[in-house]
Amino acid sequence: MQRRLLGLGVAVAALGSMLVTTVDASTGDSPVTLTIGLMQDLDSPNVTVGALVADYELWNMQYATLTDKAADDFSNIPGLAESWEASEDGLTFTYTLRAGLKWSDGTPLTADDIVWTINTSKEQEWINHYSTTQNLTATAIDDVTVEIVTAVPDPKLPTMDVYILPKHIWEEPASTDITAFDALDGVGSGPYTLKSRNAGQDWTMVANPNFWRGAPQIDQVVFRVFTEGSAMVAALKSGEIDFVHDVPSEEFDALTSEEDIETVIGQQGGFSELAMNGMAGGIGDGHPALQDINVVHAVAMAIDRQALVDRVLLGQGEVIGTLGVSPDPVWTPEIPEDLQLNYDPEAAKQMLEDNGYKDTNGDGIREMPDGSRDLTFRYAQLSDSDTAGPNQQLITGWLKEIGIGTTVSTYDQTQLTDVIASGEYDMFVWGWTPFVDPDPMLSYFTCAQLTTDLESVGYNDANWCSEEYDALYEQQNQELDREKRIDLVHQMLTLFYTESTYVVLYHDADTQAYRTDRFTGWVQQPKGTGPVLFSNTSPSYWSLAPIDASGGSTDTTAPGSTENGTGTTVVAEPDGDGGDDGDSNTGVVIAIIVGAAVLIVAGLLVLRSRRARDDKE
Amino acid sequence: MRRRFVIGKVLGALSTLIFVVIFNFFLFRVVNDDPINSMFRGRNLTPEQLERLRVKFNLDGTKWEQFVAYVQQLLRGDLGYSLKSSRPVTTVISEALWPTILLVGTSTLVAMVGIVIGYRAGWRRGSAFDATATSVSMLTYSMPEYWIGMVALGVFAASLGWFPVGGLNDAGSTLTGIERMLDQLHHLILPATVLAIAYVGEYMIVARSAMIDTSREDYLQLARAKGLRDAEVRKRHAQPNALLPVVSLSAINFGFILSGAIAVESIFSWPGIGQQTAFAISGPDFPMLQGLFLMISAAVILANLAADLLYGYLDPRVSGR
Repeated sequence: MQRRLLGLGVAVAALGSMLVTTVDASTGDSPVTLTIGLMQDLDSPNVTVGALVADYELWNMQYATLTDKAADDFSNIPGLAESWEASEDGLTFTYTLRAGLKWSDGTPLTADDIVWTINTSKEQEWINHYSTTQNLTATAIDDVTVEIVTAVPDPKLPTMDVYILPKHIWEEPASTDITAFDALDGVGSGPYTLKSRNAGQDWTMVANPNFWRGAPQIDQVVFRVFTEGSAMVAALKSGEIDFVHDVPSEEFDALTSEEDIETVIGQQGGFSELAMNGMAGGIGDGHPALQDINVVHAVAMAIDRQALVDRVLLGQGEVIGTLGVSPDPVWTPEIPEDLQLNYDPEAAKQMLEDNGYKDTNGDGIREMPDGSRDLTFRYAQLSDSDTAGPNQQLITGWLKEIGIGTTVSTYDQTQLTDVIASGEYDMFVWGWTPFVDPDPMLSYFTCAQLTTDLESVGYNDANWCSEEYDALYEQQNQELDREKRIDLVHQMLTLFYTESTYVVLYHDADTQAYRTDRFTGWVQQPKGTGPVLFSNTSPSYWSLAPIDASGGSTDTTAPGSTENGTGTTVVAEPDGDGGDDGDSNTGVVIAIIVGAAVLIVAGLLVLRSRRARDDKE
Repeated sequence: MRRRFVIGKVLGALSTLIFVVIFNFFLFRVVNDDPINSMFRGRNLTPEQLERLRVKFNLDGTKWEQFVAYVQQLLRGDLGYSLKSSRPVTTVISEALWPTILLVGTSTLVAMVGIVIGYRAGWRRGSAFDATATSVSMLTYSMPEYWIGMVALGVFAASLGWFPVGGLNDAGSTLTGIERMLDQLHHLILPATVLAIAYVGEYMIVARSAMIDTSREDYLQLARAKGLRDAEVRKRHAQPNALLPVVSLSAINFGFILSGAIAVESIFSWPGIGQQTAFAISGPDFPMLQGLFLMISAAVILANLAADLLYGYLDPRVSGR
């Protein structure tokens, strides 16, 4: 018996000493690692499958694009192509690639890869490429020259921001079913490429030495998946991670006063709206009062949007009355003062009164002018949304004040999509997040996107359409002069603001936070208003650099950025690579002690039971 | 044990399983008819692209056609594709299985200490040990897992920094072999302890009341009269007879090991079945949910079957003379 125990003890001691040795050995030259915490797992690294913010971040890091977007204002800057020319008619674009481009595995990156990506994505209608490539045909003139012809005038060109895939990896999976490919190859042309992925836990991106701007200054970026927001914030405070995407709103204020932590409220054009059923699609049973623009305006004026931002978003948002069509604020018009529908419940009441919506039976709810029915609207909200409940309580309360009743129903996203498509609602609250080019968001509210039969559901959930809006839409979609196009879009959005059945409640924000004591070079995209990571092209990955021992930083300016290093005034860590080594050592020691204790207890139990059996025998 | 008893139990389990297969299919179809429109809202897709996605996820055709396709798939051991990741549901589940078995399995085993405590407390009913053990068990049993988890996380991970805030391994770690195991052990301690604390009370209370029932039996008096030591009477005569309720509780809990622990896995970002369930619900990713429900139901049905059969073996009266 005693020999057994002795053996156990020796084993535990050996295990412990082995571990301590390896820990000592590994503290020498561990890679410089930026660790990012987020509340979302990758759904797929395959660019023809994935759809989440996390996936786009991976592709932005792994795949360079023909043209890049400036950090400051999304303007078109050179990417894989160093220059381009447009033909007279604006239908043919010739791009010249940089010399000596290589994929991360060393294979040359040529015009052939670009032609293959554009043409195959069009033929196979890849979900993230097709809206850009559907009218394009690409031809390789030589190894570094690509000619792209568009079938229709397209103001988005010469911007070519589709992810270019390595033909030598993707050609084979594309020959059968490309969506079945696991895309763990990790071959790319961007600053970082995928090294490994543990589903549900983390994924690791490593620096690509062949990136055309040169290798980035951080060896690897680790994305760590959290399922509990406060645990993620705790990990940031303790230095286990360096960056947090989507800080829970209740934790955000406390973080702003934390030492060595900087918080960011990043706008990307995402917004929430109260939509009313305009019945333009002709199906469903929307309340007839909502086809009267006066009622729509009265509803808009009953809502205190600033109060929603303050109380529902805890200040992490902004009141912008119009549709967000792009993260670039240049597309957002100033609504003339005389057209603004600001919070004014008295005016709202007067407007209803003047148009014949009176409360004749004294129940506090107004009736239709002909007395046929109450102004009681069905209000639909989402079940899986943190803001739905508070929004609904405030909004229905304000509506009650002006004599409008509501009956509230709650749906999940799928159900609400069906309810909206079938037109069986009066109002709902939901939101959108736009692309950089305003075209897709603008297109959603054209007459062509109305749902007129349930077999083909369109995107137009305002259930409103206007010939004037459609005409302007066609014009902007072919206007190649940027300033003129901006003007057209401003006209459309002002029209939409004053005539549509949409009340934009607020523009919400990405709440982010990062440690200032490890890396410098955080860049907002767009400048001053955007997030620092998880933005459209996330230029920060290129400009980020570890704070070295002398307290300075190596200067790498983010592409198209006039700002660099929002966190430069910081004191450096003496050991240069973060403060968590000590912590993890303590942890390992504790682990050993606990492990040993468990083993010893187990050993004792075995001994005891043996002795007991011996007694019996 | 009678053969009829065994066959009866197995057939019962099988028919429950078949019911689950059918119910599982319609449950999610009743709630959600066609998730494609909402999943790809704002993605600027053409109607043709959406239609192809419908075909891929077996959402075209009538309900009946979909059901037949679903059963055929199932017979091939194929649970379809996750709506979110397009990966086979079986792959996603099998990846999440090991972390869950490690976490919930370990804590269930540790929590079984409660049986020993319960036996002792029941044996010396009314003693100081009994009073202490019972009140502590009641306390831990009534504390929500979520709350214990948040407190443990706040104190031992966030403030003291003794343990990592979550995960199964250090993120991006390249450790292998024994170092990897130790790293996992380090990550395991906090969530496993939280779960064990949450589970231990249940075992203790069940074992204690089983022991109290048994301790009134005449054969124990006889054993004492034969001059056996008190501990001997408890171990050889009382404990085996107080085993039945404990066995059935343990067997059922082992069935639930596979269902993971949604609250604790969420707090500690543990990549197991509970976390996958939470992800799938937020989708909603119903091929995933369907697969998870089927797997969990099957595990519980099998564990129940095992408990029934074991019961018949431990107590021949159950299987009929």
